Amino acid sequence: MEFTPGNLLTVTFATYAIGAVAGLCCLRHERPANLLTFGLATLASACGLLAGVLCLAYSPAFGTVRMQLLPTLIPYLSFSIRVDALSAFFLVVVSAVALAISIYSLGYMRGFYGRKSVGLLGAFYNVMLLATTLVFLADNAFFFLMVWEIMELTAYCLVSFEHEQAETRRAGVLFFVMSHIGTGCIMLGFLMLFQAYGHATGDYGSAAYSFDNFHALGDRMSSGSRDAAFLLFLAGFGIKSGIVPLHTWLPAAHPVAPSNVSAFLSGVLIKTGIYGMARVFFDFLPGTAGPPMWWGVTVLSIGTISAVLGVLYALMQHDLKRLLAYHSIENIGIILMGFGAALMFLHTGHPVLASLALIAGLYHTINHAIFKALLFLGAGAVLHATHTRDMEHMGGLAKRMPQTAFFFLVGAVAISALPPLNGFVSEWLTYQSLLQGYGTTDSLLRLMFPIGGALLALTGALAAACFVKAFGITFLAQPRSEHAAQANEAPSTMLLGQGLLVAACVFLGLFPTQFLKLLDPLTQSLTGLQISGQLTVANGLVLSGVNPNGGTVSTLGIAVLGLCFLSLPFLLRLVFARGTNVRIGPTWDCGLQGLTPRMEYTATGFSKPIRMIFKALFRPRREVQREYDFSPYFTNTIRFEAHVEEVFETRIYRPLNRWVLWASRRMRALQAGSIQAYLIYIFITLLLLLLFAL
Amino acid sequence: MNLDPISILSQTALLLALAPLITGCIRNWKARLQNRRGPRVWQPYFDLLKFLRKDMVISEHASWVFSAAPYVVFITALLVGLMVPMVTTQAPLSLFGGVLAVVGLLALGRFFLALGGLDPGSAFGGMGSSREMTIAAIAEPALMLALFTVAITVGSTDFSYIVTAAQQPGWNLFNPTHLMAFAALFVVLLAETGRVPIDNPATHLELTMIHEAMLLEYSGRYLALMEWGASIKQLVLMAILVNIFLPVGLATDGSAAMLGLGLLIFLGKILLLSAAVVLVETVNAKLRLFRVPDLLSAAFVLAAMALLSTFLFK
Amino acid sequence: MIMNPSAPTPIGSQIIMLFAALMLVLQLLLVVQKMLLTNIRLYALQSLMLTVIAAVIAWYYNATHVYIVAVLTLVGKVIFLPWLLNRLVRRIKIVEEIEPLINAPTSMLICGGLTLLGYIVARPFTTLDKLGNNTLAIAIALLLTGFFLMINRRKAISQVLALLTIENGVMLAAVALTSYGMPLVVELGIFFDVMVAVMVLGILVYRIRESFASMDTSKLTQLKG
Repeated sequence: MEFTPGNLLTVTFATYAIGAVAGLCCLRHERPANLLTFGLATLASACGLLAGVLCLAYSPAFGTVRMQLLPTLIPYLSFSIRVDALSAFFLVVVSAVALAISIYSLGYMRGFYGRKSVGLLGAFYNVMLLATTLVFLADNAFFFLMVWEIMELTAYCLVSFEHEQAETRRAGVLFFVMSHIGTGCIMLGFLMLFQAYGHATGDYGSAAYSFDNFHALGDRMSSGSRDAAFLLFLAGFGIKSGIVPLHTWLPAAHPVAPSNVSAFLSGVLIKTGIYGMARVFFDFLPGTAGPPMWWGVTVLSIGTISAVLGVLYALMQHDLKRLLAYHSIENIGIILMGFGAALMFLHTGHPVLASLALIAGLYHTINHAIFKALLFLGAGAVLHATHTRDMEHMGGLAKRMPQTAFFFLVGAVAISALPPLNGFVSEWLTYQSLLQGYGTTDSLLRLMFPIGGALLALTGALAAACFVKAFGITFLAQPRSEHAAQANEAPSTMLLGQGLLVAACVFLGLFPTQFLKLLDPLTQSLTGLQISGQLTVANGLVLSGVNPNGGTVSTLGIAVLGLCFLSLPFLLRLVFARGTNVRIGPTWDCGLQGLTPRMEYTATGFSKPIRMIFKALFRPRREVQREYDFSPYFTNTIRFEAHVEEVFETRIYRPLNRWVLWASRRMRALQAGSIQAYLIYIFITLLLLLLFAL
Repeated sequence: MNLDPISILSQTALLLALAPLITGCIRNWKARLQNRRGPRVWQPYFDLLKFLRKDMVISEHASWVFSAAPYVVFITALLVGLMVPMVTTQAPLSLFGGVLAVVGLLALGRFFLALGGLDPGSAFGGMGSSREMTIAAIAEPALMLALFTVAITVGSTDFSYIVTAAQQPGWNLFNPTHLMAFAALFVVLLAETGRVPIDNPATHLELTMIHEAMLLEYSGRYLALMEWGASIKQLVLMAILVNIFLPVGLATDGSAAMLGLGLLIFLGKILLLSAAVVLVETVNAKLRLFRVPDLLSAAFVLAAMALLSTFLFK
Repeated sequence: MIMNPSAPTPIGSQIIMLFAALMLVLQLLLVVQKMLLTNIRLYALQSLMLTVIAAVIAWYYNATHVYIVAVLTLVGKVIFLPWLLNRLVRRIKIVEEIEPLINAPTSMLICGGLTLLGYIVARPFTTLDKLGNNTLAIAIALLLTGFFLMINRRKAISQVLALLTIENGVMLAAVALTSYGMPLVVELGIFFDVMVAVMVLGILVYRIRESFASMDTSKLTQLKG
């Protein structure tokens, strides 16, 4: 067998399928089920990763890989896949993350032995991986919707896997409902594309569902229907990726799933929405004329709002996994800022800048996939060790789980967009595209770029604050509970899974210029340009904005020079501090009898200043009950409760929910229960249709 | 655009040597304005030396993060210093990063500083970290927007390029754009260096402290690194302000005369700005924590108006 | 992409732009500052900026009536009105605005938005080739933020101050844009109109305070039967 992407992909699909079947076969045998399902998933994702990298790196040699998975059974539906550059990029994303998660799961699933069915989870997991991979590769709208639906259903099953808790069940249902509203929008969008193609060519056959034929379809659509399709896809894919205000399901659903699944959901699954948007906004809808200005403006605004609100809500959480889930909203926002800017540049006729902004968005996509998966895996390891997701019961884990703490810290630095790791690189590209965008138009809309940049800075700074809190409260100081005090380091497979992602963070952070070369075929197909040459200077060691004078950065240089400077403190120590000792002593306690964990800063306390500053948004409420004998300053007991209002839930979703319920109650009158009434409904509908057809 | 080891080394030496002097000058002048004699201007050097020679006491609750923080703070401050032009128009490390890398590296240092504050488990440290991160979060947009305004008018995020452009005849401080951006950056400077309306660098053990609260558990050479890093950061931020908005006297080539003159003028400008900081510190009282956002949002709006003005007064 | 640093413009135009921008900055400070006495000082300073602008324009166009405007502004709005208001504040012994309706950061952002609006509105006129024409945007911004300030404040006396800043905006537009067009009579008319209005309001403030033991204009709703 040759080592071609096609063959590798066949192996990938087959292995996922075998993994799923194997899981179902060993429902009663936990150890073999664990080894088989996750081992096979590891193998499959490794093959997928290899295939994706081959496709991107040797794109001229392999061209666009096409395959027919199954013979066509039903008209319109052909099980064909196509791996062009965009699909290959997302194939790399899904496979790389899946590889790390699968290895991690080998250790993590041991926590489920005797509690839940490991085989079932493994089977669902493999099917979800397979379906997600196929979503990125499908070449036919019907096939796409089919695998999309399988992906949603398996994800639903995995979210509500621990359905014993009411919270999980509620989150599962919310996830289910919201994602199906999204699917509905996407379906309508595809039907519009189908109609447009059919109308233009007179061919309403199965070719009208092929993605090849959708390319640059915008030219053949009226501007009204093009805009309608844009909005439908934006809403549909937006729900999937969790943009504000369609995000409420995300922070509910992601935390309750098992941690390895959460990592996949937050890292990869929401990127299917990003893939959809990239595919539709840059491949299908804009024709030669380019997209209208307001598309870009809308996407950029939504991105900015999502980024700021996502991180603000994240700061208010003290559930570690929920905090991470809110950060997904933030990062999706940052990705969409790049996309929005790219759309605006396409409108104003600046393809180079459009490529830069698109690359910024896509770079952040893979970065977020990697560090978010890493952080969720770290949270899973913590959960595994302490049996709680509540940060207020953690603390002191850096001493008890040093490797996990280190990995989590790397993820935290990366997600806070701090140099020299990968989050910084993609945000640097985003900033560059925003700054250079200022000169592209003369209208006032250009103010959006620097203001967007400033809000991105706000987002970055708040994210740093949030991860100081997440890492500091979870891993530092004294343990706040018995469980945390007795935590142990995670097993080696779990560490290996995280370590792989850490390596990816470091690689993408230090060698961006090498990675950007892989994106050349991608921008070639979407904007017609290859700009990696313009993005690198000094033998590929330094990253530059498109304009050589516009600014350069070298994370590698920063890291190397930083390491060189490390010699300076040691030199100082050698010269001045020879013979000094280090003593271990108690933390200064103001003369009390020792500090207890109860005196430490809590997660809630840490974010209080921000809660106060943004109180117009959070509307914090607090209740304090004191019991005292003679003076309120000497309390016997004190009870403190603080709440933050989730504005979108209370202001939009609950009224909507009430309205839907009210409307449904009204509609119940139709449901009379008598057969005759139903027959009359059908009859009237028939008559109306006949009249309409006249 | 190349890396010159000599200029890297000499600028590093300048940063290390000059930063404590600026801190000393500010302390001394502030004391004089308050009718005290105050410590000598080179007292910070002696302090650093003393800290370096002392034994360290490390909290029993602290982990490796506590020990890593001083190194990160110190090194990021140095790296940032090398990306900003001081005496010459060409910063030694401008190839490795400009405005965005500077803001990013400062944030990295702050990130570890805050973690170091949290690590020993004292309530003071937590309080300091929480406040530091909050204030940084609202100061950073103002900082970015003000720097963007300058970067946009020049078309580059590279400090060397900005400063070179600032040498052109059309550039002047009294352009409203630059004036407003300067004012915004000055407020941010006060916030970032923990100066009076926002934080009081002279307090110890008060419930109002921010930066000092995080350093409370540090001692010995770690404390020296922390203090030195903070001084360098202060010098760098000041250098950004004076060299962008008052770009006179920067050496354009490497001749000794130019360099000497440049160094003298640079010193003069920095001392002038320090005097302004001292004046602001003396005539103002510290703001309540929840009034700080008022000031910083004013800085943000100022920066936004500077941006608007580039539009109008071009 | 690269925008050249602004080309050298006549020094007069630069001075006008600078001081107009300073007027706007002072207006923003007025919005965040709660102390009444400081507010009055800021207003005086803002009027001083207006005086300088008027003087520069008068010198450049050699227009006598603009000199008169400058002198009147100096005497009336930099010295007399602040003195009057100062006295009023000392007499009624209220030195601080208790609580504006909207907190400082939000009102700053609103003012930023209003300034943007001013810039948008004034944009078509910025191409006029005339000294100080760029200040129209600032004049409109002053007007809008002045209105906002008036809405945002409860105390009658700070509302008076807000009115005065609006008037400053109008004067700026009148002086900077129509140095030839607007007859002196009109400018004098505006000037004395406001002067009288302030004096009447000053008395009114004193009366409100006497009757309600407060300067809070929202208490005036109690007057209805």
